[in-house]
Amino acid sequence: MGKLDATVALALAGELLGKLARDLSISDWHLVIEVRPDDLPEAALRLRDDEKLSCKYLSCIIGVDYVDWMEALYLLRSQDHSVPIRLRVRLDREKPEVPSVTYIWSGANWHEREAYDFFGIKFLGHPDLRRILTREDYDTHPLKKDAWPHRVRRTEWAWEGVGKALRLPGEPDRQERS
Amino acid sequence: MSSAEELTGPGHPAFHLDEMVLNMGPQHPSTHGVLRLVLHLDGELVVSVEPQLGYLHRGFEKLAENRTYLQYLAMISRLDYLSGFFMEWSYVRGVEALMSIRVPKRAEYIRVIIGELNRIISHHIAYGDFLMNLGASTPFVWAFRDREDVYDLLEMVTGQRMMYNYMRIGGVRWDLPGEFEAGCRKFLKNFPAKIDEYEKLVTENEIFLSRTLGMGIIKPFEVLDYGLSGPNARASGVDWDLRREVGYSVYPEFDFKVPLGQHGDCYDRYKCRIEEMRESTKIIEQALDAICGGPVNIKMPPMLRPPAGDVYRAVETPRGEYGVYLVSNGGLRPWRLKLRDPTFSAISMIPKLTAGNKIADLVAIAGSLDLIMGGVDR
Repeated sequence: MGKLDATVALALAGELLGKLARDLSISDWHLVIEVRPDDLPEAALRLRDDEKLSCKYLSCIIGVDYVDWMEALYLLRSQDHSVPIRLRVRLDREKPEVPSVTYIWSGANWHEREAYDFFGIKFLGHPDLRRILTREDYDTHPLKKDAWPHRVRRTEWAWEGVGKALRLPGEPDRQERS
Repeated sequence: MSSAEELTGPGHPAFHLDEMVLNMGPQHPSTHGVLRLVLHLDGELVVSVEPQLGYLHRGFEKLAENRTYLQYLAMISRLDYLSGFFMEWSYVRGVEALMSIRVPKRAEYIRVIIGELNRIISHHIAYGDFLMNLGASTPFVWAFRDREDVYDLLEMVTGQRMMYNYMRIGGVRWDLPGEFEAGCRKFLKNFPAKIDEYEKLVTENEIFLSRTLGMGIIKPFEVLDYGLSGPNARASGVDWDLRREVGYSVYPEFDFKVPLGQHGDCYDRYKCRIEEMRESTKIIEQALDAICGGPVNIKMPPMLRPPAGDVYRAVETPRGEYGVYLVSNGGLRPWRLKLRDPTFSAISMIPKLTAGNKIADLVAIAGSLDLIMGGVDR
């Protein structure tokens, strides 16, 4: 069982994905690959079926709301070489839609339902896209930063402070006023 | 066939006269907490299963966004309440990675010792509950009797029996008490004989074997396809243990085996857990021998401000890969915290595993997967 170096994996992934990868980098020991939403199934299939990278294991799908955009993050790992890979898909916040990968990894089914439940990300082609943890008639997607309009003060702080801190990491944080 | 028969005949898709819908749970002793399974039954045969989650949903990921990094640490062991120490461990590993903190060596040893003790009591429950699901009540009581020995040790160290809150970002809360080592060594000396006792009670039992052998088989490719991890994956022969592969903390220093199964049935999953208990005792012994002196934590300010960035850190809990994905924007509170629970993936496999089996076997399969709903529902 040969372990793959992250830089080697980077070169391999670059070769494998070609133009599908918008951006390739190494951060936090992970190989981070950014793809467009439309290219996701193709990139995922190639990563899964490649002999060297063989990302047969989908650890989880993570939704993140960055206020200006939304993100779906697919944590992959090849059981043979233990190079963790993050497949990063940037989504339009107003209309977060991304093709489903349920037919590539069966385990993606519930993870996609969870991301839909929490963030309202629509996974196109998902066999059964329903809420999974919150109740069926819940009127909001709770982990979106503007999920509760009636709690304006708190969300306003979050919006101001965090939005700025994301753009300029050195700036003081306004969430502190509490 | 006349039209009337067509309409009322058994098996007509419009009527499903033979099919009965039965709700198992959310309050049912064999669903391990508040899992609700909607069963479609044909007599005693399970046609399809639909797990319903969310009865224990407490919004842990959202709550993290309104708490400071240290405040959140007090809650996190409530997630998977049987292995709370691993929840704390994965979370502090995430924050430490964000802040690039190196933890003192002694603290790492303490984490390993307490963590493995926690793995043992969690596997006790897995063992006892699994056998309880199969209708044997003695192993359950024996497991609970022996769990008390470990609880006494953990209470001595942390002051708590279940919700430890013992980890700190940059170490542990305080040092091990003086009498801990003697107590722990005494436990380690007696414990292997007790595992033999468990095995003598169950492993060769005719009824147990006929209920578990060849039941609920998970193939290696299905393990990867569904994202299973931990003993559930290793019972199918997938040789994957984060303690060895990633080698976090001081695990690379220890010599331990990763027990593997061959067939991936309920019996192999049971056997894997039993063997893991033995391996855990070996790890604790080695850690007690190797533990060094020095500080157990580094002084941290009460208000942490990790630099902006994102990390994913996972630990091998008794149920598999428990991961924490943290996004920091440089503020006092996490911008996003995602908790990746191994049981979530395991439950998503239940419909596939149980279709076509009898209800009693569904209970056995669910028990062998070692489900804890606290971590799944978050």
